[in-house]
Parts: sequence; C-alpha cells; structure tokens
Amino acid sequence: MLTKLIVYAAYYLKSSESYKNSKLFFYNLLENPSSTSKPYFDMFMTGLIVLSIFFLLYDVEHEASAMGGYIEQGILAVFACEYLLRFWIYSDTHIIILEEHEKSQYLNIEFSFYKTLRKVIAKKMEYIFSPFAIIDLLAILPSYRPLRILRVFLVFRLFKLFRYSSSAKLFSDVLASKRFELLTLMMFTGFLIFIASVSVYVFEYPEPESKIKSLFDAVYWAIVTLATVGYGDIIPHTVGGRLVTILLILTSLGILSFFTSILIAAFNDKMPVLRENRVYSELERYKSFIIICGYGRVGQEVARQLSNDGQKFIIIDKKAPNVELAKRDGYLSIQNDASKNEVLLSAGICRGASAILCVTGDDVTNVYVTLTSRNLNKNIRIISRTNRHDNVSKLYQAGADHVIRPFEIAGLLAAEFLGQPVAFEAISGILQNQADIVMETVLVNEGSCLDNQAISQLDLGDKKLSLIGVISANPIHFKHKNKYQVKQQHFYFNPEPKFILRNEDILVVLGRKYGIDHFRDQIEKHRLLARKVL
Amino acid sequence: MKQVAVFGYNRLSVEVISRLDKEQYQIIVIDHIAEHIQLAEENGFQVANIDFRVDDDLRSVGIGSSIDTLFCFFEEDSENVFLTLSARALDKNLNIIAIVETPESAEKLRVAGANKIIDPYEICGRKIHDILKRPDITNIFDHTVFGRHDLNLAEVVIPENSYLDNTYVSQLQLGTQYNLILIGIVNKQVSEQLNFVVEDVDRRLSVGDILVILGPSREIRAFKKDVENDFSKN
Repeated sequence: MLTKLIVYAAYYLKSSESYKNSKLFFYNLLENPSSTSKPYFDMFMTGLIVLSIFFLLYDVEHEASAMGGYIEQGILAVFACEYLLRFWIYSDTHIIILEEHEKSQYLNIEFSFYKTLRKVIAKKMEYIFSPFAIIDLLAILPSYRPLRILRVFLVFRLFKLFRYSSSAKLFSDVLASKRFELLTLMMFTGFLIFIASVSVYVFEYPEPESKIKSLFDAVYWAIVTLATVGYGDIIPHTVGGRLVTILLILTSLGILSFFTSILIAAFNDKMPVLRENRVYSELERYKSFIIICGYGRVGQEVARQLSNDGQKFIIIDKKAPNVELAKRDGYLSIQNDASKNEVLLSAGICRGASAILCVTGDDVTNVYVTLTSRNLNKNIRIISRTNRHDNVSKLYQAGADHVIRPFEIAGLLAAEFLGQPVAFEAISGILQNQADIVMETVLVNEGSCLDNQAISQLDLGDKKLSLIGVISANPIHFKHKNKYQVKQQHFYFNPEPKFILRNEDILVVLGRKYGIDHFRDQIEKHRLLARKVL
Repeated sequence: MKQVAVFGYNRLSVEVISRLDKEQYQIIVIDHIAEHIQLAEENGFQVANIDFRVDDDLRSVGIGSSIDTLFCFFEEDSENVFLTLSARALDKNLNIIAIVETPESAEKLRVAGANKIIDPYEICGRKIHDILKRPDITNIFDHTVFGRHDLNLAEVVIPENSYLDNTYVSQLQLGTQYNLILIGIVNKQVSEQLNFVVEDVDRRLSVGDILVILGPSREIRAFKKDVENDFSKN
C-alpha cells in the first residue's frame, strides 16, 4: 500500500509542471554555470559571508547587540535554505523511484521498497559528503547554541567563497593538478620535521636553560625554523642542537624553493588553458560573431575592418607570433589548430558564429578547415582564400560559399587601373567605403510604400540618390532588358521608369550615406503608419 | 599601341597579363631568373632576361623610351623599390604600378615614385569584409563589372569643340538615350577628385572633363563614338 502510494507520488511529481519549473529555477540559480541569475546569487552570497564574518570579528571585542543577533539569524537561515535547496536539487528522487519501479515491472519481479530507498539515500549521501557540502554544513553548525565551542569554524564560511568565485576555485585546481609532487614534498617535509624535532628534543631537553620542555615545543621549533621564520623564542644551546639547526636550515631552503617552483610550474601549465577559457567565456556573451582562421596579412586586414564596424570576432591561428600580434592589437584570439573539430566547436561554430573565414596562407589548411566547418554547421557562411586557381573548385566542393584569390583580385585591379584609372579609383572608392558616397541596397518589403510603384514615382533624383539597378528573383520582371543573371537572382541594370517594383526586390542606390539612411527611414515610417491605419 | 613592361613572372603577373587586351597593349615580360623566363616563353610571351639592377639593361628593353607602363611584380619589396627608383630616374612620365608585400613598404614605394601601389592582401581583406557586410552589391559587381557579364565602367573625356562642351549634366540623359548611368565627373582643371552626379547641383561640362559611366560595352562604344563624331560635325 505504502509502495503504491510512493510510486503514485513519484508519477505525480514527474508530470507536475510547477514542480519541474521550480526545480529548474533553483538549479539555474544555484548550479547552472551558464544561467543569468547565478552570478547575482553568487554576488549576494559573497556579500552575506563577508557580513557574517564582520559580525564575528565585531563580537570578539564588543558586546553582542540584539540587532547583530537578528542579522546573524537571518544570514544563518539563508545558509540553511541554500544547503537544503542544494540537497534537494542534487538528485531526482522520484526519477530513481520510477526507474526502479519500471525495471521491476519489466523484469516481472517485486518492487523492493528498501532497495530503492537505499539507492535514494546513497545518492543524497553522496551530496552530503561532497567537499563543498561539508564546508556549507560547517558554516551553519557553529551557530547552533550547544555547539558554540565550534565558533572558530565560522571562519569556514570564508571557504564557502570558493563556491561563488571561479578564481578561487582555480587555485585549488592548480594545487590538485600537482597533487603527486606536493604529496611527495609533504611526506619528505613531515619526515624532516619529525627527525629534527626528535633530535633537538633529545639534545636540548636535559639542558636546564633550554625552553624545550616537551616534544610539542620541539615540533613547534622545527616548523618555525623550517619555514625560515625563526622567531628566536626557542634557541638551541647544545652543540648537538645547533648542528641539527644548521642541517634543518640548509634542507629547508631546498624544500621551500622546491615548493615555490612546483607552484609556479603548475600556474604556468594552467595559464594557456585559463586564457583560452577567458576568451571562450567572453565569446559566450556575444550573440553573433565571426571566426577568423589565420591572422596573416589578409586576416589582419579583415579584423581591422570588422573591428571598425564594431563587429565581434575571434581569431584562431596555429602560429604563436600571429596570436601574439592579434593580442597586441586587442583582439580575442586563441592559439590552436582550427582544423580540429573541438577547437571550432568551443569557438562557437554551432553557437552564435555567423560566418567563418579561412584565410591562412596555406591552401591545404584552408580546404581542410572549410571541410571541417561545413561538416559541423550546414548553414554557416564560409569564405575561403586560396592562392592557386586549381584549388577554387576544391574549396567550393568542400563547402565554401565564397572563394577569394588575392592575386586574382590584385591582378584585376592592376589591369583595370592601367586602362581607366579615374573610373577605377571611383568605383573602388565607392566599393570600399572610402568616399563619402556609398552604394547600398534598399529592400522592398511587403506593404511598403515602394511595393507596386514604378521607378519614375520614387523621385530618387530629388532625394539625391541615383538608382543603379534592381536585384530581384521575381520572374515578373523577365521582360525587361539589361538583365544579368547573378546566382539565383537577376540584376536589372538601369531599369526603365515604368519598371514596377515588387515585394522582395532590392534597389541598388548610390548616394550619401545619410541620404540613403533617410530614404530607408522614410520607407520604414510609411510602413508603420500604413499598418496603424489597417 | 601602348607598351607595357612586366617585371617578375609569377602568379600575379599572369593574372594581370591575362586581363589586358592584347590588341591595345604590347607586353614584355622581364625577369632575372632564367626559369621564370623560360616558363614565360613557353606560355608565348615576349620576354627579356636582364638584370634590373643595371640601368643600361633597363634602357635596352625600352625604359626611358618606348615603354609607357611598368609593372613591378617582384616578390621582394626591396627589389620593387629599387626597380621603381631606377625606372623613375630614367623616365619622369612612366606609369609605374607596384605591388607590396608588407604595408610599411607602401610608403617607400610612393617615395620612390610609384604611381599606384597594390597590396594584394589588403585588397583581399577588404573584399572579404565586403562579402560579409554587403553581399548583394559585392555579388553584383563580381558578376558584372569584374566578371563575365557585359557591364563595364568606362571613362570618356570630353574632346575639344565637343557638343557636350557647355551643356548641363541634366541635358545628357544618358539613362534614356544610351542606357548608361553617369556615376561622376572629374574636372581636371580643378582637381583629380571625382564629383558624384547625385551630389551636385546641375553642373556645366567643359572640355577636358572626364565622365565616368557604367553600362554595357555596346552602349559605351556608341556613346564614345557620338562624342567624338559630333566634334567633326560642328
């Protein structure tokens, strides 16, 4: 009967939306590292901890005030709530029950309530004995009146900070990564302290002037000497004691330098990973960005232009000097091999990246990165560079949307410049946004004031704009002359005044930047007005 | 026929030569590396194997006399700078077009006397940026003006006694009469700066102005012909 009730309750919880939602809410608040609410919660908890430690210190010298007591109680309640909530969301009890229940039904054996209970408890115990949970508990317990003696453990609340700060966590990670070296050193140090304290105890204890009255004194002296602190409150008087001191000092210098070097090495090892993580976490804040593979001359130029636009991007390059340069230029960059799946994935190729540029100087790398990226993301725009004509088709085959050959473009430019320098400077000026005059596109939306209008009705001349042509995929325009096929669309050059614009046509206009912007604004305003009337 | 000397035989020079009209330009490929020369000869170019560091050698291929345009396409920036300096010393009016590998060299080339400096990587970077930011326009220009389709930029100089002299831009009616679009006008007397048509209040054309127009080549030819013929009619 009880079993049935429990299984029924478990099913009820599983189907309950509000239960799931509230659990998810607390999960996001407490544990989910990528949630938006967690940073605020962490900050709040850090504040509470600092406040409670402040009260602890205040109480040492002053009479406990009533106000302080209430605040202390409040903080304690928050801590306790947090502990219980974490306890709750650590595992899904009802799911464990249901799993067991379904398993027993499938195998056609009796559902064992106690076995399931054991599993549930084991899972929860796992939480209770996790290091963070222990620290949490130690931060709460000392406030319980009968355990007032444990007040010192209130300082454990400071350890709670580890939970809320990733840089503190980092320090423990670094130490953990050198666990073997540190353990070896620790054992050696312990051994040394033992020998030194015992021998100094043997030599000094009989001496009447000596302050070493117990083995504890000897251990205390050994550690003070070993750490090169040397208060001088206990000094050896016998020759034997002094010899021990000399040996201990010489050895301890070695130990200390060894310890320092281990720490430095550990931090050095961790540094690149750390920097990379920083880059990735910075990247996660961007909604849309571009991945640039290769920071050679071409990559540098693109990066410069993109940063002028305020567009976010990340640079991946295998070569250390290039990455160094990118860093100096103030761009996000990682030194890694872009042809590896995990590098592109962690750079966010499937999350937020709108385009990837393969612009290394090496064609083989470009083809490989193109192929990898296309494999990972079917929709991303890929622009690749190649130096050789033969590789253009390979890049298209690998999935590139655009292929660029630097020498082809440069050659074209040189040849055009030879023939018509003035015209060419003009058009390249426009295309590269160097002149005041720009060429831009204006889209004809459904229901916009441009829809179903003839070109002659637009009065572009009055707006100081000149129409170069219209891009359209609409077959209705086929009868017009001067059409040029561009991929799936047609470009209608110099359309006649009676050319009627349709939805989704794109006007290509030449004019001052603000002239074009003004034109767009007017269209947009008109559209909004029209909608209101409807 | 204009004489063009291309120094350095490599991918870039092959690209440039392939785009030059063989009817209009007589091209000579010059290099000091024997293999390059051999390769160029096999591909049917007129070649000369000379040392660009020696002025007499440069004179022997016609620099300072018959050559109108010089392309410095060596892979080393220092070589290009040296060649530009030597050639400029031999001929004040030579049209020198040079490429650069590193941006710092651009300024040196300018000082040495190059008319146009081309940085392939910079252009390539710009191009990628354009593809990202303005895909439609870049696409159109790639396929038309720079590509296979017949849509070209051209410049037309207004000759002396032309019927266009003293006319207003608004009277031109290039759009309806010729199916051409007038992009801008360069008034040589004032500056080299291009004045965009959209920008200006109605301008009066004068002799020596350069009209920059965009359109199919047939229309451009027709317009050019009319501009020149009218001058004989008057």
